[in-house]
Amino acid sequence: MRRLLFLLLFASAALWPAGPARLDPLDEATYRQVVASSKGKVLLVNFWATWCAPCREEMPLLVKLEAAYRERGFRLVTISADEPEDARQALEFLQKMKVPAPAYLKRAANDDKFITAVDAQWSGALPALFLYDKTGRKVRSFVGEADFKVLESEIRKLL
Amino acid sequence: MKHLLTGGLLLLGASLAFAQTLQPGAKAPSFTLRDVSGNPVDFKSLKGDITVVTFVATKCPISNDYNPRMDALYKDYKGKGVKFVFINSNSTEPAAEVAEHAKANFSFSVYKDPDNVVADMFGAQVTPEVFVFDKDGILRYHGSIDDSRNESKVTSKTLRSALDAMIAGSPVPTAQTKAFGCTIKRSKKTT
Repeated sequence: MRRLLFLLLFASAALWPAGPARLDPLDEATYRQVVASSKGKVLLVNFWATWCAPCREEMPLLVKLEAAYRERGFRLVTISADEPEDARQALEFLQKMKVPAPAYLKRAANDDKFITAVDAQWSGALPALFLYDKTGRKVRSFVGEADFKVLESEIRKLL
Repeated sequence: MKHLLTGGLLLLGASLAFAQTLQPGAKAPSFTLRDVSGNPVDFKSLKGDITVVTFVATKCPISNDYNPRMDALYKDYKGKGVKFVFINSNSTEPAAEVAEHAKANFSFSVYKDPDNVVADMFGAQVTPEVFVFDKDGILRYHGSIDDSRNESKVTSKTLRSALDAMIAGSPVPTAQTKAFGCTIKRSKKTT
């Protein structure tokens, strides 16, 4: 019996997702689809890049938040602002951090228009987090290192 | 239920709300910077017919990618009535580090903005971020230097276009742009 339990545990660990399998390209239209398809859930969109040290530092905290609130209807979506030549490095980082899919790579034709489409007031500074309620309405933005106490409190209010 | 994430976290004040950024048409504020020796320097003494204020960093990979381009801009335009004011507002980058970085990379000095007072006045968010004022102190261009951190991929030299237009007395073709960049590392303040 103990052996069976061990095998079951081993199998579940092996099947446990090790981060996203790929980075899907994302432009303004895809972003709108991501938000629309998340209606009914509380959505947190994380913009990050491999060159952004605070982005890398806060990723484990985002993973913890996702794991803690996933069952209650919380969804985390990551969007890398890396250049296409750094996509592999970005994907490897997400896999190492066990960041859940879906994960995207920003592939907008024009950064200026893309940033404005996401949030007209956003300068493009990273890291950036955008929190949406279950109706798909943006309720909070965090630019720069986020206060995770505040972030978690906001998520809990919306769930 | 207790919060999941408590203790041991480096919490930098409240989440940074979108500060009000100076918009094209706005008047340049009055402010004082510090040279790398700590001496106060009034913005008035640094202004020209055209003044380019650029927020830079020592550690930001994006800002550093622009170092040669910033130096080239300085050399190309300093003889055309354009004055440059480079500012480091990052609380994580002390004056000595800023001086050393400038010496290694630039033909110009970089001023410190203690407690990011000037960055807050401007509503500057990233590095590098540029604000260009005309002789009357009116903001004519705000945003990025160009449209790619990778110089070989640049398709639009927005800052150069703005400067060329202003020197020629023409309207700036694009008055505002955005780009992905490192946040300015502001000092912790109780708000």
